[in-house]
Amino acid sequence: MNEVVRAKVKKIIFLLIAAVIFGVILFPPVVLFLTSIKTELDALSFPPKWIFKPTLDNYTEIFEFSPFARYLLNSFIVASLNTGVVLVLGSFAAYSLARFRFKGADDIAFWILSVRMMPPVAAIIPIYIIMRNLRLLDTPWSLVITYLTFNLPFAVWMMRSFFREIPREIEESALVDGCSIFRSFRSIALPLVAPGLAATGILTFIFSWNEFLFALILTGSKAVTLPVGITGYMKETGINWGYMTAGGALALIPVIVFTILAQKHLVKGLTMGALK
Amino acid sequence: MERGQRVWLFFCLLKRKYMWLFFLAPTVAVLISIVIFPLVFSLSLSFHDWNIIRAGGWSWTGIGNYRTILFQDSYFRSSFKVTLLYLAGTVPLQFGLGLVVALILHRITKKIIGFLRTALIIPTTMTPVVVGMIWRLMYNPDLGMLNYFLTLFRFPPVNWTGMPGTALPSVMMADIWEWTPFMALILLAGLQSLPQEPFEAGLVDGASPWQTFRYITLPLLSPVMLVALLIRLMDSFKTFDLIFVLTQGGPGMSTEILNYYTYRYGFKFFHLGYASALSWLLLVVVTIISIILIRILHSRGIYAERA
Repeated sequence: MNEVVRAKVKKIIFLLIAAVIFGVILFPPVVLFLTSIKTELDALSFPPKWIFKPTLDNYTEIFEFSPFARYLLNSFIVASLNTGVVLVLGSFAAYSLARFRFKGADDIAFWILSVRMMPPVAAIIPIYIIMRNLRLLDTPWSLVITYLTFNLPFAVWMMRSFFREIPREIEESALVDGCSIFRSFRSIALPLVAPGLAATGILTFIFSWNEFLFALILTGSKAVTLPVGITGYMKETGINWGYMTAGGALALIPVIVFTILAQKHLVKGLTMGALK
Repeated sequence: MERGQRVWLFFCLLKRKYMWLFFLAPTVAVLISIVIFPLVFSLSLSFHDWNIIRAGGWSWTGIGNYRTILFQDSYFRSSFKVTLLYLAGTVPLQFGLGLVVALILHRITKKIIGFLRTALIIPTTMTPVVVGMIWRLMYNPDLGMLNYFLTLFRFPPVNWTGMPGTALPSVMMADIWEWTPFMALILLAGLQSLPQEPFEAGLVDGASPWQTFRYITLPLLSPVMLVALLIRLMDSFKTFDLIFVLTQGGPGMSTEILNYYTYRYGFKFFHLGYASALSWLLLVVVTIISIILIRILHSRGIYAERA
């Protein structure tokens, strides 16, 4: 009996600690959201108001009085195009590295991984100069291309680990009938890794959506993406808290939705396949 | 075998032997042209002086930039110190807290772990600029939550990011909030993938919880711990968004880590040669860490096929 009680108490204590941890994690984003639905007067009051009349004015105003719609569109264009290119190139390369036995396959794989680890600031100066000479500055293309530097190695590693999980025999039996490796890739291997492909695509999209440094330097006005655009609500002269929080909250929506969709594969993605 | 059939077989085998090249070549070509070529370009630029907004082209300085950085640039030294402080103040804490969180969550019933994991993932995948904004809001001296809590407990308010003494710890605290869940997530995944037999054996032998942790969990988990630490260490060198939004490197240079210093040299002062040299030094440091990481991943077989 005593043992049972003690176990129960222990369990409750653990649950309480867990609750505190999640309070600490979730409190700051909740504050962001609450501020975004306050009027300017309520947002600026101190101590902070917990009970107030919510308003969506900030959300409608950022679309009306700032080019928020354009930021959103740019981010969407860049992230989708980049994801498309990454998935095509990445799954081809990953298939090659996972399925064919050739000398140096491992070395190439690890070289690709090391590219992913490069600090962006090391590449930004030459990329800026190259993009300037190609007259691609302030276009979505400059970002679609530049984001390949981190997303393509990522996708290769993710997809490689998914392709490796398919038993070799399934494909070999298909190859016996004909000689088209491309066909066995497309009609056998690819459908088998479809969930992995989706997870890779979702993470690639999130990484593009979140990227800030390259977008800050390679865009100026027309091609500005969301993260760069919303930092514009913070000026030397003062911060527009309402716009900033509403813009930030809107930027998070796709990220949170996608995160929940892909959460099964996230640990794998975040550790480059080291863990599941 | 007929002649025709033999020729067909020959080509088929040839195709199978070299097909990998066609699948791999586009990616390798892309990475060479958008990563290797730019890096070589910046290496050569780092041996020159070039200010992009002034007239005049590149002028050769040899190792001049590197010499200035390493032996004369006192700002570099201060920024180097800030970087070390930043790493020392974030990565170990994230690791320690992450381990504690992972161990606690590991003991909680499986039913809610899906929800808990989702909550852990959110700070990690959240747009870093927005994380910065959230903390800018929390730290604001006039209306922020942190000063509100301080006044609740009758402490004097703090100008968190506005003073040289507190700015760096403030940025570090936001970083810890952002990345501790990531550590916890990885370590939790590591804990869940450990074999059960050693723990059962420990239970039979009457090991205390501490002994179990010290002699079973810790050694088994150590490869995962190392991977988590190295990934975080490497990424910490690249911290940019948080600093940009919270402090812009200031006040003074109190939060200016090397990454930010390099950015400022290149895109605020437009000394692209000097900034390239700085970025190459950063690249060398990060590459050394990544080589260690890759070696470990390779030798410990963490990347071995696991069905």
